[in-house]
Amino acid sequence: MNLITLKNKKNGRLVLPLVSLFSLSILIGGVSESVEAKTNQRLVVGNEYMLVTNYPNNLHVLDLATEKVMKTCQLPDDFGPGAIKVSPDHKTAYVLNNHYEDIYGIDMDSCDVVFTARQSNGNERVKSIFSFAVSPDGKELYTIQNPTLLNKDHYRIQEPRLAVYDTKGGLDAKPIRSFPAPRQVTVMSVAENGTLLMAGEDFYAVDVNTGEKTVALANRNWQRPLYAAPDVLNAWPMDTANNEFLSLYTTARFQDETMDLNSAEWIYGFHTIDLKTGKAESIDFGPITEIYFTGMRNPADSNIVYGVLNRLAKYDISKKEMINAAPLDHSYYCIAMNDKGTRVYLAGTFNDVAIYDADSLEKTGSIKLPGGDMAITTAQVFRR
Amino acid sequence: MKITRLLPWVIGAATAVASLLPIQASAEADAEQIVRNSCLSCHTDEGSSALPQSKGQKSAPQWSRISHQRKTPEGWLMSIARMQVMHGLIISDNDRRTLVKYLADRQGLAPEETTGFRYAMERRLNTQESFESEEFTQICARCHSGARVALQRRPASEWEHLVHFHLGQWPTIEYQAMGRDRDWLGSALNSMVPQLAKQFPLESKVWSDWQSAQKPSLAGSWRFAGSAAGRGDVEGSMSITGSDEKGYQLELMGSYADGTAFKGRGQGIVYTGYEWRANLNIAGVAMRQVFAASKDGSRLEGRMFEALHDEVGMDISALKDTGVTNQILTVQPSYIKAGETQKLTIVGNNLKGKLSLGQDIQISKVLEKGKNKILVEVRADTKAKLGGRSVTVGKSKGGDLQVYDRIASIQVVPNFSVARVGGNGGSTPKVTSAFQAEAWAPGLDGKAGTDDDLRIGFIPASWHVEPFDEAAKADKDTRFAGTMDATRGVFSPALAGPNPDRRMSTNNAGNLKVVAKLTDGDTTLQAEGQLIVTVQRWNNPPLP
Repeated sequence: MNLITLKNKKNGRLVLPLVSLFSLSILIGGVSESVEAKTNQRLVVGNEYMLVTNYPNNLHVLDLATEKVMKTCQLPDDFGPGAIKVSPDHKTAYVLNNHYEDIYGIDMDSCDVVFTARQSNGNERVKSIFSFAVSPDGKELYTIQNPTLLNKDHYRIQEPRLAVYDTKGGLDAKPIRSFPAPRQVTVMSVAENGTLLMAGEDFYAVDVNTGEKTVALANRNWQRPLYAAPDVLNAWPMDTANNEFLSLYTTARFQDETMDLNSAEWIYGFHTIDLKTGKAESIDFGPITEIYFTGMRNPADSNIVYGVLNRLAKYDISKKEMINAAPLDHSYYCIAMNDKGTRVYLAGTFNDVAIYDADSLEKTGSIKLPGGDMAITTAQVFRR
Repeated sequence: MKITRLLPWVIGAATAVASLLPIQASAEADAEQIVRNSCLSCHTDEGSSALPQSKGQKSAPQWSRISHQRKTPEGWLMSIARMQVMHGLIISDNDRRTLVKYLADRQGLAPEETTGFRYAMERRLNTQESFESEEFTQICARCHSGARVALQRRPASEWEHLVHFHLGQWPTIEYQAMGRDRDWLGSALNSMVPQLAKQFPLESKVWSDWQSAQKPSLAGSWRFAGSAAGRGDVEGSMSITGSDEKGYQLELMGSYADGTAFKGRGQGIVYTGYEWRANLNIAGVAMRQVFAASKDGSRLEGRMFEALHDEVGMDISALKDTGVTNQILTVQPSYIKAGETQKLTIVGNNLKGKLSLGQDIQISKVLEKGKNKILVEVRADTKAKLGGRSVTVGKSKGGDLQVYDRIASIQVVPNFSVARVGGNGGSTPKVTSAFQAEAWAPGLDGKAGTDDDLRIGFIPASWHVEPFDEAAKADKDTRFAGTMDATRGVFSPALAGPNPDRRMSTNNAGNLKVVAKLTDGDTTLQAEGQLIVTVQRWNNPPLP
């Protein structure tokens, strides 16, 4: 077979992947609304907050009781991707930024940068693709590092590493230990027992002291009879109030062994690992009728899952059917919920967070942010 | 499974192509000194020759990476531009031109090695690529054209470097759709590299043959003819003076089928002995020519297009005046309906002999008989034999003329096209889309849609757009996405940017049905194509 021969051009069609990473980014202009940024204002214990980042390089703390921007912290260096993880004591926001290379710890009470891990070093350039997490005791931060050696006249891809940082490492933190890691790891979370969970080819459980890994949940290699391998877009390392590590997947279930895609059933589902018990499941929740970038279960009702991109949709998991869907003013990438499960917050793209009633999917408000596009920010909700 | 892929690049300002021009030939010694001064802080001087040198060529200095690849002039330009953008190379435009010429001449592609992939150099960005190898399509041609790969030659070690460079420079490659479903790096290194090294090796017989072949000068008088979507047939003359060493000057005069004349002048350069590139100005519009010369230097084939809007252009064939009498280039138009009278133009060089249009075609008037152009009024008999015939002048044959009795079907060409919103204060201009109606006769069996259908040619039609599907209708795509010129078949997209009047403030994208209609006798014929109006192409390198 000749590798590259132009075929008949008739009937050619644009082939789009079901979910292409970042293909739907929307550019927007600047924002005029001015918000007083009280950088020194302390967060109030017991109050619920939400974090998002946006251009040019802001970390916003949103007060979910008043549904207003409480404060805006300036981040160092360049924006991107602005992915966020929150320390277990809810005092420090960790942001993966500066072209996917550096992680900054921001004290949310003072807006001070209290931690910086510059992962690149010398001629080794390191990128983390949304892959970072904090230990349950808040003492350690984990990243998957994808290094490339930038030699004088050629590049060499190196094996990825799990790097462990001491969160007290300060503004020039260096890994305190590191282990070989698989390629293609994206979002991570840490179980209550300290086991690091990472999404990659499969979902791995990793001992952060030895680097030993086991498969916690099969993804690309799942063995569900008559199912195609699932596809997972994992660019948002979201934490949830119900303490699960959840990723949406799309898949196809064939009618029979002929594995005919034309007659296959196209399915949305989610992988979930319970961070308390470690129970791992892959659960289908409905047919694919539209694309969602992120999804989340209602912390008050684990049978309800929401998905968002061009609509906010709500599914009854056991019935495997869509209950309701709300039109949106524009695309949103990242979903979040309050811990009572009564509100859905939508972030990512443009500079407004949309607020929906979790039951009726009525839009109840929005929070306009100073600055520009949130792009692929992570929305994280927590109670101080 | 066959995967067909549309090149998703905007046809836009290919500013980098301009950097290939204008021309100033420099001595090899200059180029080698530029490499020593500008490149060897990163690349290594390897001393001796690693490439087989052709007869008569002196042994060349060898440098790491640089001396182990072959590519097109555009390919070399992109490599050097990447060194500037990503690796801090500081080089003057003049020095860069000198290097591109030096490298493309010594390490270019043989004419045969560009066959089938010239569309990328010719900026035919609506080309839909389709490759037998699904793996190649998904690993390489997922982000850029497959042609960009196929227009390079490397040994396995250099293809391997390319894989490492790709993942190092764009680390999310292995996380994107069609990357995350596999061991991307393993597939790229262990499967693609050996296949690429086999199909596109550094050393080849056609290249070594071409290196030692005589390269004719392109200076001389040329007749050209072609077809411009939205304008119809064109023809004219082109004078090329100068030499490969000193560069070429170019003067051009032509006219469209409607009689509109145009003229222009500019400068040209020949790379690798046959790759003609010219920058010219036609009525105040900057234009480019990307042509390939035949090995004997008697023909040029390619495309001439606007520099800023490279989607606007024309296919060109040119024939050099070699002194031979009655060289026929083409006949315009290339069809006539039985029983009708129309004008025909025969384009060529030194046309002196008797004109014959074949059986059943009568010349009723000779309107113009020039050395390089014959314009006649002709009539096809009502019962003229259907099908093609050769046009002859004197004893020379050339040019085909189709006789048809009726149009049985039409097709929209291209059947699928992409236009792009632009302007509105942004950096990227709009990209228009031009369509033509291709007419077909039923052939001897009298039935349309059978194997013996005869292609008549492009015929004037009236044009409009409709929503392609229900979603396009609901989103009022026909209202927002732009406007179709009913006569010319050229679609002009709307302005760029979010539109608050649209659902979800989306931009002026659209999914449109392109409808061509024409009447032939009592019959009204209609055909449909698809037009996607989408967002700007921000990254627009010389090779898509």
